[in-house]
Amino acid sequence: MLEQFKTYLQNKVAITDEQFALISGKLKIKTFERNEMILMKGEVSAHGYFVMSGLLRSYSIDSKGKTHIIQFAPEQWWLSDRNGMLFNEASDFFIDAIERTEAVVIPKDYINEAAKIVPCMHDFNHTILNNSIRFMQKRINMLLSATAEERYLNFIKLYPNLTLRVPQWMIASYLGITPESLSRVRKDLAHKHFKV
Amino acid sequence: MEANTKQVSAVLSPPAPHMVGDGFRVHNFFPSGYRIKMSPFFLLDYNAKIGFSARNEPRGVGVHPHRGFETVTIAYHGAVAHHDSAGNSGVIYPGDVQWMTAARGILHKEFHEAEYSKKGGDFQMVQLWVNLPAKDKMSPPKYQGVKHDNIAKHVLSQNGDAIEVIAGAYQDTKGSVSTFTPINVYNARLNKGGKAAFSFPATYNTGFVIIEGRIQINDSEVAETDQFVHFKNEGTEIKIEALEDAVVLILSGEPINEPVAQYGPFLMNTAEEIQQAISDYNQGKFGYLEE
Repeated sequence: MLEQFKTYLQNKVAITDEQFALISGKLKIKTFERNEMILMKGEVSAHGYFVMSGLLRSYSIDSKGKTHIIQFAPEQWWLSDRNGMLFNEASDFFIDAIERTEAVVIPKDYINEAAKIVPCMHDFNHTILNNSIRFMQKRINMLLSATAEERYLNFIKLYPNLTLRVPQWMIASYLGITPESLSRVRKDLAHKHFKV
Repeated sequence: MEANTKQVSAVLSPPAPHMVGDGFRVHNFFPSGYRIKMSPFFLLDYNAKIGFSARNEPRGVGVHPHRGFETVTIAYHGAVAHHDSAGNSGVIYPGDVQWMTAARGILHKEFHEAEYSKKGGDFQMVQLWVNLPAKDKMSPPKYQGVKHDNIAKHVLSQNGDAIEVIAGAYQDTKGSVSTFTPINVYNARLNKGGKAAFSFPATYNTGFVIIEGRIQINDSEVAETDQFVHFKNEGTEIKIEALEDAVVLILSGEPINEPVAQYGPFLMNTAEEIQQAISDYNQGKFGYLEE
């Protein structure tokens, strides 16, 4: 069952099957039903998730009741609340399943523990951490400075098939624009690119 | 039994239903419900008869794309309003058929028709995905709507037993819908005791949906409302007799023996073509349709 996660790791770092067996004892696979809540704001999360199939999201709800999507996590993506995982603090976000999802549940401290047995897991940790910071920096820059069209074009590059999997309002929420603006962007693109 | 009888391979009950949008409660007979050979028919969603409560805001499925095949909607109860990005729109009433060729790409939306939605009532539909051969997958989209009154009818008996020929031909009666590969789609409407005989090449994949009533096939198997009858790829002749008043959707077609790659609403031959379809859709190359 963990085969997919093993393949994912082996594509990132030189880890043998035997080493993987040594560090996979504490990993569990969990299935979340569509719309199932995984983490509530205010809870202290002790787990991260690696999505094997399906789709998770993290989001906040503002004082007016509006949802803001922080991240989508489709196949091969990680999703966690670092407040809980690393600082033992309450989460600012909610996590739920948009589709029925199978995920590897990664316990707190897992990577540090694994690195004691298989040192290259440290390198792996650095790689995904740097990747994650790079992703956040780009996302901050997009939200501060990009036009609605630039945000959408960036989104379809990052998450090509999500336009077929989530409703428009969720994409708009992730992009920080109104559903009407998203609709306008898509309409403008169609006018530019659609040929009869 | 005659030597050239096309025999039943299985009588299948409807798999558990799922919702498509909030307007269609469908049993998928294939490809996910049962792994049966039905090419060129790729998918069969059957909305068994169900009552919807009255609602001002029509239920349905919002704007979504298709590429690489045709969607065929056949209505038995209730009514569906359809709009697409090529500017086609129409209402599919009981007995009507809508044959939409998505081919290189179209956006459409399907909702319960406003008046039906306000009143509520019985709803029963079939939606088929008919695959296209590789050479036609990127042809221009088109739309064939056929009203019940205009469907070619082959009368079998004086008491009203008849075959409505939607596509292909039944004996000398030809359906008005044009298809890319040889396909027969009929509605057989039989009174109790009514009989019909069909002849399809052995290689054609063939299946019946029992929309209403109960029938006996080849003097042996019995199938009833909501079941799907799948036939073997041997023999050519099928006989049916209605044990009760019956409506049977008859599907038979020459298989398209090409690789299939499917993702969501796209049905192509290769994974690269699927990636291209996703990218084209995202970039607005399917056009635009207001939600």
